Amino acid sequence: MSNVALELTNVRKKIKNKEIIKDVNLTIRQGEVYGFIGPNGAGKTTTIRMIVGLMDLTDGEIKVLGKSIEKEYKDAARNLGAIVENPEMYPFMTGRQNLSHFARMYDDVPKGRVEEVITLVGLDQAIDEKVSKYSLGMRQRLGIAQAILHKPAVLILDEPTNGLDPAGIREIRDYIRRLAVEDNVAVMISSHLLSEIELMCDRIGIIKHGELITEQSVKEDSEEADQSEIKVVLDVKETEEAIKVLASLELKAEKEGSQLVSLMTRETIPQVVNKLVESGVTIYGVTGVKPSLEDQFLELTGGNIIE
Amino acid sequence: MSNFFSLLYNELFKIYIRKSTWVMYIILGLIAVGGAIIISSFDDVQPTEYTDNWKEELQEENEALHKDNEEFGYSFNDDRIMKNEYLLENDIRPLNYGAWQYTLENVGLVAIVSLLTIIIGSSIISNEYKWGTIKLLLIRPISRNIILLSKFIAIFVFGLFTMIYLFLVSMLGGAVFFGFEGFNPSTVIMTANGIEYVPIVGEVMSEYGYRIVNLIMMTTLAFMISTIFKNSSIAIGVGIFLLMGGNIITGIFSQYEWSKYLLFANLDLKMYETGNILIEGMTLGFSITMLIVYFVVFVALAWLFFNKRDIVNQ
Ligand SMILES: Nc1ncnc2c1ncn2[C@@H]1O[C@H](COP(=O)(O)OP(=O)(O)OP(=O)(O)O)[C@@H](O)[C@H]1O
Ligand SMILES: [Mg+2]
Repeated sequence: MSNVALELTNVRKKIKNKEIIKDVNLTIRQGEVYGFIGPNGAGKTTTIRMIVGLMDLTDGEIKVLGKSIEKEYKDAARNLGAIVENPEMYPFMTGRQNLSHFARMYDDVPKGRVEEVITLVGLDQAIDEKVSKYSLGMRQRLGIAQAILHKPAVLILDEPTNGLDPAGIREIRDYIRRLAVEDNVAVMISSHLLSEIELMCDRIGIIKHGELITEQSVKEDSEEADQSEIKVVLDVKETEEAIKVLASLELKAEKEGSQLVSLMTRETIPQVVNKLVESGVTIYGVTGVKPSLEDQFLELTGGNIIE
Repeated sequence: MSNFFSLLYNELFKIYIRKSTWVMYIILGLIAVGGAIIISSFDDVQPTEYTDNWKEELQEENEALHKDNEEFGYSFNDDRIMKNEYLLENDIRPLNYGAWQYTLENVGLVAIVSLLTIIIGSSIISNEYKWGTIKLLLIRPISRNIILLSKFIAIFVFGLFTMIYLFLVSMLGGAVFFGFEGFNPSTVIMTANGIEYVPIVGEVMSEYGYRIVNLIMMTTLAFMISTIFKNSSIAIGVGIFLLMGGNIITGIFSQYEWSKYLLFANLDLKMYETGNILIEGMTLGFSITMLIVYFVVFVALAWLFFNKRDIVNQ
């Protein structure tokens, strides 16, 4: 197990007697990408503002590489890079001037680093244009560029996919995975759209009304995945016959139109197909549907309702 | 500490990269040269050119001035007459009007430098809120105190640059339209001790210097207001109002003993040189102490509010 990079312990935030964050505990390890999901107004940005030191904590503690953001601010902030809410930059300056401006705020950002990040986020073409002429997607990239200038150990991105097209999202996703895998960076990404960040996260936490209501791993092709039941849609001609075959394998099936829907583990799918073929059932298609995190998310949060 | 200069550089960069700053400089430049253009294009306000016959010329001038005084029944030319008499008595050839004297007369334009510095001081923090960049500024491994200090100092570096600019443009405009009196000319001035013959450079320095007190205090006040309210308009408004109206406010209350504790009563340190002390019992030491107290209070309030605040959207 790698080291803890970011740790929130019993974090609370009250603004004007309203509890906005209620006892959040959360740990992110080095090299881990953590999705921080919640509907509008759940408290994602508030949590992030506390992590980066823009807001005081009402109670609890936040540590970055073991340094408290409140008591050892400089040591903690040195290892943090962040976008908080919209990636606003100085509109009257070029992208490059903006990056140089922020690079000057660190002791140890070498000269060539600015050029390096410009290429990394793919802004070579527009970097000498004024930011006021940038599209939202370009500003988002510039926002990421300023967040990684000083190679932070912990990267906090508040809705970084906001305003990006699908190709842009894929690029950011690949880039973030690389940061985590190659540079061992701990990344926290917030979003209210699970589907957009699901693919880049190792783990997600769901926040609602200021409470972290569940955390779970996002597993892909792991052994566990072979064991857990997934929904399988069978498109067959002889539905009645197929139901009997499934019953003989102790599997329940439901008819949905001309298709059959059944729950089974991944391992048993080949067996089922064999049996169906042996019994002379005509198969047009077999589709495994992973219980999508999106479904679970909507179930847990009760939809994207602002309360 | 090398990092602090980077911060200062950043702040000055953000001031001087904007077009609005250069528009302000162009306007100030036009005003500073404009006086020279106007004076030199109207014959009857042309300054006298003294020749080798200067003694006669001075006497003629004094006669004309006396006549004026009598005609208007008011001795508004007395200073001029006394200066001329001093020159004649001491056998000092009068200085022809030129760049230095023009620059000295332009000292009133320091009010415009103050105005521009107040505008910069009022917006240096609130703009970061307006642009949303305050978040990106305050997540760096630099304490808020240092960020605030770098901004505060940047304001006065701007003020200093603008002052130097006003001086240079005035000198240049004066030299082009009236000529240059030399590098260290002397002239006669009125002081509390009567008329004195002094190097004009020192006079320029002291006249400009006295006005810097007002510039520093009003800018610091505006900086404090904008830091507390995150809004530049209120700060600019209050700053300009007090810059222009400070004397009036002092005038209204000057009959009361306590008015010597007002900020405005202490802004004009020149009164201790000329002897026109506003309220009896005030001393230079008293005024400097009052100024320091006000300055510390303004800075402390700005610091308190900036340091404690949660950074949220407007
Ligand atoms: N300064 C403030 N004063 C009072 N309430 C606030 C303040 N800032 C945030 N809140 C409240 O805190 C709650 C959480 O806000 P926050 O911005 O953290 O949500 P979020 O999860 O980031 O939402 P979104 O998806 O819309 O970005 C909201 O109900 C909001 O009304
Ligand atoms: Mg948010």
